[in-house]
Amino acid sequence: MLAFLQVLSSGIAIGCVYGLVALSFVLIFKATQTVSFMQGDLLMLGGFAGLALHLAAGWPLMLSALAAVLALALLGAGLERAVLRRTIGQPHLVAVLLTFGLGMMMRGGVASVPAAAQDMYRLPFAADTLELGPLVLAASHLWVIGATMVLALLLAAFFRHTRAGIALRACAEDARSAALMGVPVARMHTLAWALGAGLAAVAGLLLAPITFVHLNMGFIALKAFPAAVLGGLTSLPGALAGGVFLGVAEALAGLALPEGAKDVVPYVLLMAALLLFPTGLAGGRGGGDGR
Amino acid sequence: MRRAAVLRPLLAWTLLLALAVASLGADFAFGQATLVVTYAIAGLGVVIIVGQAGQIVLGQGAFVALGAYAQALLVQAGVAPLPALPIAAAAGALGGALASLPAGRLGGLYFGMSTLAFALIVEELLVRWESLTHGAAGLVVPAFGLAGWTAGTPAAQAAISLAVLLAVLAVCARLLASRLGRAWRAVREDEAAAAACGIAPAAAKLRAFAVGGALSGLAGGLYAHWIGFISPEQFGLVFSFELLMLAFIGGTRRLAGAAWGALVVVAMPQLIAVLRDALPGDWARSAGLELMLFGAVVVGVVLLRPQGLADGSGR
Repeated sequence: MLAFLQVLSSGIAIGCVYGLVALSFVLIFKATQTVSFMQGDLLMLGGFAGLALHLAAGWPLMLSALAAVLALALLGAGLERAVLRRTIGQPHLVAVLLTFGLGMMMRGGVASVPAAAQDMYRLPFAADTLELGPLVLAASHLWVIGATMVLALLLAAFFRHTRAGIALRACAEDARSAALMGVPVARMHTLAWALGAGLAAVAGLLLAPITFVHLNMGFIALKAFPAAVLGGLTSLPGALAGGVFLGVAEALAGLALPEGAKDVVPYVLLMAALLLFPTGLAGGRGGGDGR
Repeated sequence: MRRAAVLRPLLAWTLLLALAVASLGADFAFGQATLVVTYAIAGLGVVIIVGQAGQIVLGQGAFVALGAYAQALLVQAGVAPLPALPIAAAAGALGGALASLPAGRLGGLYFGMSTLAFALIVEELLVRWESLTHGAAGLVVPAFGLAGWTAGTPAAQAAISLAVLLAVLAVCARLLASRLGRAWRAVREDEAAAAACGIAPAAAKLRAFAVGGALSGLAGGLYAHWIGFISPEQFGLVFSFELLMLAFIGGTRRLAGAAWGALVVVAMPQLIAVLRDALPGDWARSAGLELMLFGAVVVGVVLLRPQGLADGSGR
């Protein structure tokens, strides 16, 4: 029972990271109809940015984390302005290739810094454990879960109660009508990319105490695709829920199934979900026009 | 007109090969030519799925892997290489059909998701199923042979690949002119209209993935012989994206584009290596720079020619 609870908590924690990356993917996809294949590289860059500011520049941890997220959001906005907006109205494949190429450039850029290419680093926070009676939980897991919940609430408030959030939703719903109502659609696209990149950076920083910061940490973003599909591909809460579901399913599979099965569980779930619940596990609402 | 359409590319490719032989030496040039031709066959699969049927495939490398492993295992079991090739193609076709099945009714981006998932599952299976595939250690594949004769020299290998490519191109050209080819283009342009004309879009898409998978599986069967050693990581996500790039550079609408795309994709890492050696300083030696340059080329190609390189020359 104790082992089960511990596995569950780690599953939920890693699921939160999947969910955050899926959230960033769906946010960009909904608002700009662009498929981003570089969320994992943005995540990795966010982790390294925080690391560099804290360890190399000596900033306090919280400040450097905040600065890393802001820097990545700026990078996302800048990339949107410079190149990504040219994929709008093109087939999905153009955006897929473009973002894949940009992701490669980011990974290559980090890899050409010798110190970053060779080692794994851990950000010095949440390294200890928390004991609740006989139950021992990793503080980093609780951190991730807590931070994700706060972030989800903030995002929900942003999309419900602020002008920019409502405009962004209008833009995702129907860009043409939104433009006629006076929503600056081009600026909303920039905002969506800034938010998407910033969210990926947050995911990277939250992942840092769990898997450490290293060059290939971005591969975790591949699991965000099953999470997004489980959530129906166009639903923000669905993406987050899909991620948590996936994390738990994966953790339980690691407990019950033979070695190695754990790694394919997300992808088997993706294919099963497409076959059985094409509009996501929540079903019905919003439809699933992923084309 | 028709003769010119065949002669011009023929002349261009012969000239290119002669130039490569003269500057790089015959063995190296033919070895690279073999690789280009094999990549072109694999890329044709992407051209069919993406260019003709208008769908997305993000896991094409898995179909090549299935073909390569089928071929390697059959040849190891004593089957002659030539009769094993159709089975390798069939393995690829089966993979294509399986990968696309879950997204059959949804189409578009969902195909990208399901083929990506399929490719990741296949890669994991190839690593884990050690009794059959020897896992990450890989398989050694004997040379391609026919009734006692083995294709040991690069020139012979290039000739065999070229013969296969030409045969496959002829088959594909016939296919595109057939009812099925017209159905693919109709589905690509407008699915609802195609359905209204009596075309079953789901069946047409499934067939596109089966044919595309078969082409890539066939290429995988050849590739296994040429390389002589296969392991799961050769066919990973990067390979899938290389094939996508290949089709994209070649222009997804025309079959011949695959060959030009293959030339660029095979030559690019080598040009990058040359460029890297020309740059001064220690930082240029890192693997990161190579990755960065590769990414920059991808970004540049996509931004400069979103329709592909071959499109400008051919109407």
